[in-house]
Amino acid sequence: MAIVEFRNVSRVYGNGEYEVKALDSVNLTLEEGKFIVILGPSGAGKSTLLNLLGGLDSPTDGQIFVEGRDIAGLTGDALAEYRASSVGFVFQFYNLIPTLTVKENVALVKEIARDALDPERMLAEVGLSDHLNQFPAQLSGGEQQRVSIARALCKNPKILLCDEPTGALDSETGVLVLKLLLSMAKNYGKTIVIVTHNQNIAKMADTVVRVKNGKIRSCEAQEHPLAAEEVEW
Amino acid sequence: MLIRKLFRTAWQYRAQFLSMVIMVAVGIGVFLGFNIEWKSIESDVLGFFGKTNYADFRLYSETGFSEEDVRKIREIDGVDEATRFLSVVVSVKNDDRKTLTLHVSEDYTVSTMLITAGREYDPEADGFWLSDRYAEANGVRVGDTLTLTYMNLEISGEVLGLAKAGEEMICVAGENQLMPDYKTHGFAYIAPAKYAALLGPMAVYPQVNALSGMKKADLEEAVKTALGRTTMVVAKTEDMVYSEAMGESEEGKTMGSILPVLFLAIAVLTMTTTMHRIAANEKVQIGTLKALGFKDRRILAHYTSYGLVIGLVGSAVGVGLGYFIAWFIMNPNGMMGTYFDMDRWALVMPAFCVPVILLTNAFLVFIGFLSVKKMLRGTAAETLRPYQPKTVKKSLIERMPIMEKRSFGTKWNLRDVMRHKARSAMTLVGVLGCMVLLVGGIGMKDTMDSFMRILGDDISNYETRVTIADSAPNAETLALAEELNGDWQATAGVSYRGDTVMLNIYDASHGKIRFVDRNNKLMNLTDDGVYLCLRLKDTAKVGDIIEFSPYGSEETYRVRVAGYTRSVMTECISMTAAYAEEIGVPYHIGSVFTDTPAGEIGESPLFAGAPQAKAKILDTYEGFMEIMNLMIAVLVVAAVVLGIVVLYNLGVMSYVERYRELATLKVLGFRDRQIGRLLISQNIWLTLVGVLIGLPAGVGVLQWLLVALASEYELKLVLGPLTYLVSVGLTFGVSTAVGLMVARKNRKINMVEALKGAE
Repeated sequence: MAIVEFRNVSRVYGNGEYEVKALDSVNLTLEEGKFIVILGPSGAGKSTLLNLLGGLDSPTDGQIFVEGRDIAGLTGDALAEYRASSVGFVFQFYNLIPTLTVKENVALVKEIARDALDPERMLAEVGLSDHLNQFPAQLSGGEQQRVSIARALCKNPKILLCDEPTGALDSETGVLVLKLLLSMAKNYGKTIVIVTHNQNIAKMADTVVRVKNGKIRSCEAQEHPLAAEEVEW
Repeated sequence: MLIRKLFRTAWQYRAQFLSMVIMVAVGIGVFLGFNIEWKSIESDVLGFFGKTNYADFRLYSETGFSEEDVRKIREIDGVDEATRFLSVVVSVKNDDRKTLTLHVSEDYTVSTMLITAGREYDPEADGFWLSDRYAEANGVRVGDTLTLTYMNLEISGEVLGLAKAGEEMICVAGENQLMPDYKTHGFAYIAPAKYAALLGPMAVYPQVNALSGMKKADLEEAVKTALGRTTMVVAKTEDMVYSEAMGESEEGKTMGSILPVLFLAIAVLTMTTTMHRIAANEKVQIGTLKALGFKDRRILAHYTSYGLVIGLVGSAVGVGLGYFIAWFIMNPNGMMGTYFDMDRWALVMPAFCVPVILLTNAFLVFIGFLSVKKMLRGTAAETLRPYQPKTVKKSLIERMPIMEKRSFGTKWNLRDVMRHKARSAMTLVGVLGCMVLLVGGIGMKDTMDSFMRILGDDISNYETRVTIADSAPNAETLALAEELNGDWQATAGVSYRGDTVMLNIYDASHGKIRFVDRNNKLMNLTDDGVYLCLRLKDTAKVGDIIEFSPYGSEETYRVRVAGYTRSVMTECISMTAAYAEEIGVPYHIGSVFTDTPAGEIGESPLFAGAPQAKAKILDTYEGFMEIMNLMIAVLVVAAVVLGIVVLYNLGVMSYVERYRELATLKVLGFRDRQIGRLLISQNIWLTLVGVLIGLPAGVGVLQWLLVALASEYELKLVLGPLTYLVSVGLTFGVSTAVGLMVARKNRKINMVEALKGAE
């Protein structure tokens, strides 16, 4: 069943002489519960795609349906509500609040999400029960990314959006983070969308979307995705 | 190229640059304003006194000085000039409301005039030299005829010239008039020949004015030896005109040492915090320049020039502002112009101001230097890494159990405050400064209003004051007081502990004159001792025996201190008429206070001038109150500007520094309103702490100011509940308004842009 549908979505930055088409009449359908990787070189438009899906940005043209609801026209509070309840973000540089402890960073989402899960349980599941009262700066990069995953899942969103989640990590830690991401998503039945330029991650995906020059070049389902440990990094 | 970068960076951080320029300008402006003011008063007033031979000493004798006396005084070694002098209040014929102080300077070597129009001074002339301000206010011109009355005597003549005089630089009718009112009171000089022609052998001179650099005690002794009797000697420092003028100068010095320090300190602190933040935000650019091959020296010079530009622009605006403030106070039509009447209103900057401005600029440059020096440490690669704020730790407050259950917003803000201590401390200083100025300014109004209420309602419980002529016998005045159902007062100068103070003797049996204690509560004078005014409180305890000697008398009186009473204006010792009779101190009744309206009291040779309605006397305070209100308005505006500038600058800085965190919250799904609340709540918490410290600090500063003013007025600090409410309300209002202004910015957070790159 489709959870996301892009219909003729365009995103243009600037105007006139300085106009840049980041996305050009994109049509794309993503299935629920799948692990989707959006692949493409720098400047291809993959992050724009993710930002539009995450409600961080609005398209210049077209419609974006998430669970049958068009989010393209949402603004202000309605868009904030969408971000709070429907999507969870995992960033390359974690984006944790430095002045909140590990537990508080995750518990933070309880203030905005209606069906939030128990923060301590989520942190236990990502293996950080012993670090609850530490601050982000006291953790390693991998640990910080695990906090970020726990935070994203704690909101109990339908879709998990990850922008280069292993981009700032060494390959060993990256594999661990990806494994965790996949197992958590599976356990909680989430759709995962990862944006990356790392071809290897694509080997793990159920669906691989290739983007170039603001257009979808291909959208292919993989019948036998590899497990993280099977991928040669 | 770097110059272009400087201007573009300044534009990028325009809120911070502007706030630093404003703070430096206000700091230097206020510093210069008050310092130029006091220096100009000192310079212009002393210059005017020099030109008009303002007397260093005034010698008084009730029976008058003979020609022989003044010759002997002139011969005293150390006396440069001495002249017999007369000063008497006379009425303008056919207009009882108008009075003039008439002077005669016999030799015209001391206490002379500066003639501004008409004929030069001529000792044989038969006319008047009239106050030019009085002439202007009343439409009198040179050549007009003027007729004055003193008791039954008419003094008539042509207005020969217009003048200003040092003796009348503050031209008031008496101690009860605070501010000059040229519509109703001025001064005039006549030549000794005219005085002699008017009174013949009766023309006495009860005063000798002298120019001398001697000490008062030495002159007193020398005069006693020369004349063979004790003579009342009043030094210029005890004379109302000189002491008030120098008091104004001292007030300016006081103001010039508190307010500018507050503003300059806040300016320097703002500069320190802001420059550090800008340097931290520019760290990657600093690293880039370093990596490109720019030498540390060049990068340092570039960023240090930010401090220099801010300092120079701020100082230039500040110098303009300072001269404007000083001009606003010190110009013939300005605040001092309603008080002083003198010829020259030049603005003079004290010499020390130049090094202070240069040092301030050097310090600002040094702050810029230090901020960048810190960022330049290490290799180019290290400098290229973004600035890392200190790693946060749980503070002591947070370890308290009560904090465990606090909301995330409270914890976030608390840790942000602890993490950015300098920024938070600056916010506190801004709020504190705002609060101190508001409490000080509005509290001063409360205190002055209370002063006016005490003066108008409590102490002066009469309708009309009748001033009695020096020649009127006490018996006749007593009969008059009885007839008018009035109280009376006798005033004379006495020597107490080497200083001249007033001895006031009262018959207050009709309740027309009343007394208040240190708490402004009504009290009665008992017949078993004297009452010291609060300014003399520290000189003797209740029950102590003190001594005083009336001037012109060999007698010393030993009296018991029965208590203390608040004296509004003069430094004085008070007693009842009954106690005065008991100890046998001589007195002459000078005023009668009654409820009979001025218009219903007929003419009498006992009167010196027409009876004055209390309302008219109190009207003369209006000008003073207007000046006061203006200064309070300036303080309130300064408080609000200070609050807005400091809080906005820090608010924007806090917003910029937390931009990434705010963007993260927005991505997570926090609404603009919720993020706005987070930002405002930190402001509100810091404001609350600032207000809690600022309230007592404001009261303390006001109390200190009242002590500094104690030589002129005996004021009791009064702060009404409304003052607390308005001060707290305005401070919170400013803080909330600035918080809202900053919080509005979060609508424009670019989530995509903010989340790029590592922190």
